[in-house]
Amino acid sequence: MIKSMKNLNRTFLVFALVILSFGSVTAQNYTLPDYDRFQLKNGLTIYLMEQHDVPLISVSAILPAGAIYDGEQSGLAQLTASALKHGTENYDKSKIDETLDFIGASVNAYASKEYAALSSRFAAKDTETVMDIVKELLRKPVFNAEEFEKEKKRVLTQLERNKESPRSVIGDYFDKQLFGDHVYANSLSGTITSVEKLTVTDLKAFYTSHYQPNNMAISVVGDFKTAEMKRMLTSLFSDWKKGNSEPKNLASQAISAPSEGTVLLVNKDDARETTYYIGGPGVPRNNKDIVALRVINTLFGGRFTSMLNEELRTNSGLTYGARSRFVNYKNGGSFYVSTFTAKETTEEALDLTMEVIQRLHEKGIDQDMLTSAKNYVKGQFPPRYETSGQLSNLLTEMFWYDFDESFINDFESAVDGLTLEKANQIIATYFPKDNFQIVMVGKASEIKTLAEKYGPVTQTDIK
Amino acid sequence: MKKLLLLFCLSLSAISYGQLKADDVKSFTLDNGMKFLVVEDFSIPNANMYLFYKVGSRNEGQGTTGISHFFEHMMFNGAKKYGPKEFDKVMEFNGGANNAYTTQDVTVYTNWFPASSAEVMFDLEGDRISSLSIDPKMVESERGVVISERSTGLENSPWRNIIQSVNATAFQEHPYHWPVIGYLDDMKNWKQEDLEHYFKTYYAPNNCVVVISGAMKFDEVKQLAEKYLGSIPAQEAPPKIHIKEPKQTGERRVTVQKDVATPYLVIGYHTPEAKHKDYYALSILSSVLSSGQSSRLYSSLVDEKQLATMVFASHAESFDPNLFNFYAAASADASVGEIEKAIYEELDKIKKDGITERELQKIKNQKLMEFYGQIETINGKSNNLGTYELFFGDYKKMFEAPKNYNKVTVEDVKRVANTYFRKSNRTVGVLKSNVDD
Repeated sequence: MIKSMKNLNRTFLVFALVILSFGSVTAQNYTLPDYDRFQLKNGLTIYLMEQHDVPLISVSAILPAGAIYDGEQSGLAQLTASALKHGTENYDKSKIDETLDFIGASVNAYASKEYAALSSRFAAKDTETVMDIVKELLRKPVFNAEEFEKEKKRVLTQLERNKESPRSVIGDYFDKQLFGDHVYANSLSGTITSVEKLTVTDLKAFYTSHYQPNNMAISVVGDFKTAEMKRMLTSLFSDWKKGNSEPKNLASQAISAPSEGTVLLVNKDDARETTYYIGGPGVPRNNKDIVALRVINTLFGGRFTSMLNEELRTNSGLTYGARSRFVNYKNGGSFYVSTFTAKETTEEALDLTMEVIQRLHEKGIDQDMLTSAKNYVKGQFPPRYETSGQLSNLLTEMFWYDFDESFINDFESAVDGLTLEKANQIIATYFPKDNFQIVMVGKASEIKTLAEKYGPVTQTDIK
Repeated sequence: MKKLLLLFCLSLSAISYGQLKADDVKSFTLDNGMKFLVVEDFSIPNANMYLFYKVGSRNEGQGTTGISHFFEHMMFNGAKKYGPKEFDKVMEFNGGANNAYTTQDVTVYTNWFPASSAEVMFDLEGDRISSLSIDPKMVESERGVVISERSTGLENSPWRNIIQSVNATAFQEHPYHWPVIGYLDDMKNWKQEDLEHYFKTYYAPNNCVVVISGAMKFDEVKQLAEKYLGSIPAQEAPPKIHIKEPKQTGERRVTVQKDVATPYLVIGYHTPEAKHKDYYALSILSSVLSSGQSSRLYSSLVDEKQLATMVFASHAESFDPNLFNFYAAASADASVGEIEKAIYEELDKIKKDGITERELQKIKNQKLMEFYGQIETINGKSNNLGTYELFFGDYKKMFEAPKNYNKVTVEDVKRVANTYFRKSNRTVGVLKSNVDD
């Protein structure tokens, strides 16, 4: 069905990672339901949380096998994760698909910048069937060559197709621009040249060195009995041999802050609009001010009435939406403003964006704005943890970023404790105010001259 | 795109849990005709309010296309008590968030808020429904916003482009002919009087169904509804859509040029409205064809023949007869002709041999899981109940759906495939770079 909406979607209004905030508006402190955490002898960490509202179970798994480990083989982490479903020792691909489809279950494996993950959702009565497949995917993938060649062909076509959509490619360009030689610059999807070269031998090698129980967590949330689930997981995973190498923390190298503003102009000949990011370095997920940063970003560019959206959309009609976000990884992160506007209004929109950023730094925020943002993040919090899938995902994030339920349970007081003075300090400390890294995707011949206003321009063609 | 909502397995044993039952939905109608559905659910301290207005691009005419969607935007731009920008500011200050969407058939406003702020939400809604002010300055800046929305949709996805052309070709008379977003020239031309007329005609309490789920008692909802919405006068019923699309009597084809890596294909067959008896069989047919990697189209076109990188079918609920669509994106070395032929081969197999009992059971199992997903959240509850109330005529139909789906046999699926998947009933759209070959 065809639909046009007020905002791109709900996530337009939210943060980069999960929103961890909740409701003193409601004066009802949200606390995380009880869960069990234990470790198998091989080091695999397991989280179990019973939730009996619906007869469903959600599983999440997380492990250090993301794009930062790709090396020269860009796209390897992503393709390895998706190839887990291409067949295992005891299930070929069609048996996996048919078994899962028949019971309406889903199992997805994917990679992100830092980690690989698996998520699954199924009816409680099908637990045994699905958990056995989950075990096989994680432990016994065979990396079938024929299936991989088919997948590779699809991926190559999709990479070719990405140049039809500025929104699909601009993030990779920006990360490259900002992170330079650091592994956070690595592209998840890879390039046509790098993907063309990959073989199942590469996938197998990547799997062998990165998919190990000792660095991994699995969470199960839903309609089960903890003791039974514990028995099942122990029998499925305890004889998985511990890996003999600790993964190198490739991301721990320092991220150098840019010393000057630069502009990357990505030419798209048939562009009718200009899509752009303006940003700079961010912070790691475990930054002590992460809650405060999220509150402030909400009012700057994280909701409908944010400073950015109000100026660029509501007051001027230059765009359908403008936002800002912090992306937080383990060892660093990024901050960027993103929006798009008609070719003809590119300069006006860029100038206005710069002006709003400057206003944040020069004028700061006032008490009303802060109160509103606090109420908003608290009020929008509980629906973030309503389903078993959301909760299982949260548990693996706790493992990955090394935080515990106190982060959830103390969140409301952390929000409430943010004073105006502190908020303005945080703006000065964390929000980039100069040396902006800018990526513009649009028709170069029409916007190159104006792009030069914002820094030295490098030009490339969309790919 | 709106996700297809198919809820029907209530009769299956697994769902006898503490699940939503027809009796859990309470309803009342204000004197002015505004109907409310309420689900009390205290699992989280939040609630929502979904307002379904029975107006969409289907109610427009040439010259004012896109005005339904534009109006959806204008509903946020100021009324008597809460002036321009105040609606969002007040809502967000009180911990609430909102969005809205417009389709060919309906315009839906969605508010999500901590239950403790419920009264503010009713006040905000009451203000804009009773006394919206259409400020010419806001009209101009909002015009820019929707033009940007149209542009960015076309910029980032070739699908929107080709779907518009297929609709325009398949519907020659009925208003499903034009895109929800509107024609660019109409978007630049909406007049103040068009907007005022539109508001008066369609934004009446008797043209709206409100669904509320969450941490609120029925009595509280009723009291707030009476206080803030009860005094808004009812209006005459809006004009009926009298145009029926004439029967299509021959295949239609349309080609669109865009610089793309590989071609995109859309095939649409005319099928009946949601209230038609064939709805459930068509819905099952759609899932058999494209739900999951074991589905017929995926396993044949993407996996086995490698002609397409993606293929899917869609059959959504609608007020008037609409299209059952197929979408495919070509592989690097495949031609659109091969893909088209491969889709027809799969359809012909079903027309000739039907589907298997196991396939039918598979889809029923999948629908049960979909159902769980939909009632897992308070937002899913409101959205589904409203959808059934509007498109199927009664929210209780949601609870009767199991019976209706279970009645579907493999023979029914074969029959609807033969009834609707005919060459003379289809429109084929191709989007590709080189159109002069």
